[in-house]
Amino acid sequence: MSRLSKFLIAVILGAAAGLFYGWVVNPVEYVDIAPESLRVDYKTDYVLMVGEAYQVDHDLGQAVRRLALLGSSAPTDIVANALSYALQHEYASQDLSLLQLLGESLLTWNPNLEVPTP
Amino acid sequence: MSQDRRGSWYLLTGAVLGVVMGLFYSWVISPVEYVDAPPYALRVDFKDEYRALVAAAYLYSNDLLRAEDRLAQLKDDEIAQSLAMQAQRALADGRPEGEVRALGSLAMALAGGISPQATTIATSPILIDTPTTPAGTSTPLLIQPTASPSTSPQLSPSQTSTVPGQGPTNTIQPTRTATSTPTQGAPFVLFETELVCNPDQTQPLIQVEVQDAAGQPVPSIELVVAWDGGEDHFFTGLKPELGLGYADFLMTPEVVYSLRLSVGGQAVEDLTAAECLTEDGNRYWGSWMLRFIQP
Repeated sequence: MSRLSKFLIAVILGAAAGLFYGWVVNPVEYVDIAPESLRVDYKTDYVLMVGEAYQVDHDLGQAVRRLALLGSSAPTDIVANALSYALQHEYASQDLSLLQLLGESLLTWNPNLEVPTP
Repeated sequence: MSQDRRGSWYLLTGAVLGVVMGLFYSWVISPVEYVDAPPYALRVDFKDEYRALVAAAYLYSNDLLRAEDRLAQLKDDEIAQSLAMQAQRALADGRPEGEVRALGSLAMALAGGISPQATTIATSPILIDTPTTPAGTSTPLLIQPTASPSTSPQLSPSQTSTVPGQGPTNTIQPTRTATSTPTQGAPFVLFETELVCNPDQTQPLIQVEVQDAAGQPVPSIELVVAWDGGEDHFFTGLKPELGLGYADFLMTPEVVYSLRLSVGGQAVEDLTAAECLTEDGNRYWGSWMLRFIQP
């Protein structure tokens, strides 16, 4: 076996060792993540909670601020995605209506009317 | 001769190079993207937001099982205690009163205490389909089908209108506005007043313990202590190591206090710092222990 072949084998073994360390010995741990990295079902439930909370406080600005933690998409898009997922997975009709009501309310939301929070 | 001198170092060089390449790939070319993470991996402040949201949602649904299930995703050791402590932190940080109350209500409910009345939106039968399309396919209201299935559906206000000639389109029409009306159950009554003499605790305190009808401690109960020219508020559960239903207030000697629960019930008047005696005749301040229960 030539020296070049041995060298390449050593490279491959080294890379394999690195991957083994990274994936098995010391795998990635999810810590200190933001809500936007949540799994889609958790995100949907998060949006549903925002919808439930909105039915209590009727604070659209608060709902938007909560939804903003799920990413930079428009709040209506976030709710639409959640509603789509909920429909696909046959959420209870009450939950679907909450998402829908939240989405409808967000269509009327005007950020220019928001009072800055101190 | 020179080849022999090189020995097998080239193998180690190759291995190191392989590791470097692997790391370069994993850190630069294709770094880790945090996706599909569970709630327990959230940063601490986001966990607080999550708990507050669960509590706010609970005020709407009064669904304790669902709230418990949601909170379980955070993998807190003591769910009720975490909520109670967060309620106290929220209070100290000047967070909105609604958030504090929601956290307190859920903490109480989880601890087996009183719970808020469910807030529901009574809707007409929830129909999200427009079943009159000729092909018999249903189109979700507000979900606009798009050409590409990978495209997110869009919310469109125009879709809420009824299309003439296509029969009635079902819409969700709340028949009643949702309101949050937490109830606190029967008022708490003063069960016991006791002067506690503890030589290890020589500051004059008003100590309060609040229990529900089942004898369980009740956290996040607001207590109002008033004196001539002043008033202060404090809450049960601030010192969970002493019990979720425990709270205390440091008295100033010779000041007369009255204490009541903000949720109503019996007030306690004329509380002043009282002295205790040690066996050798030394004086020190005792504390008043007030126990409130829910009959």
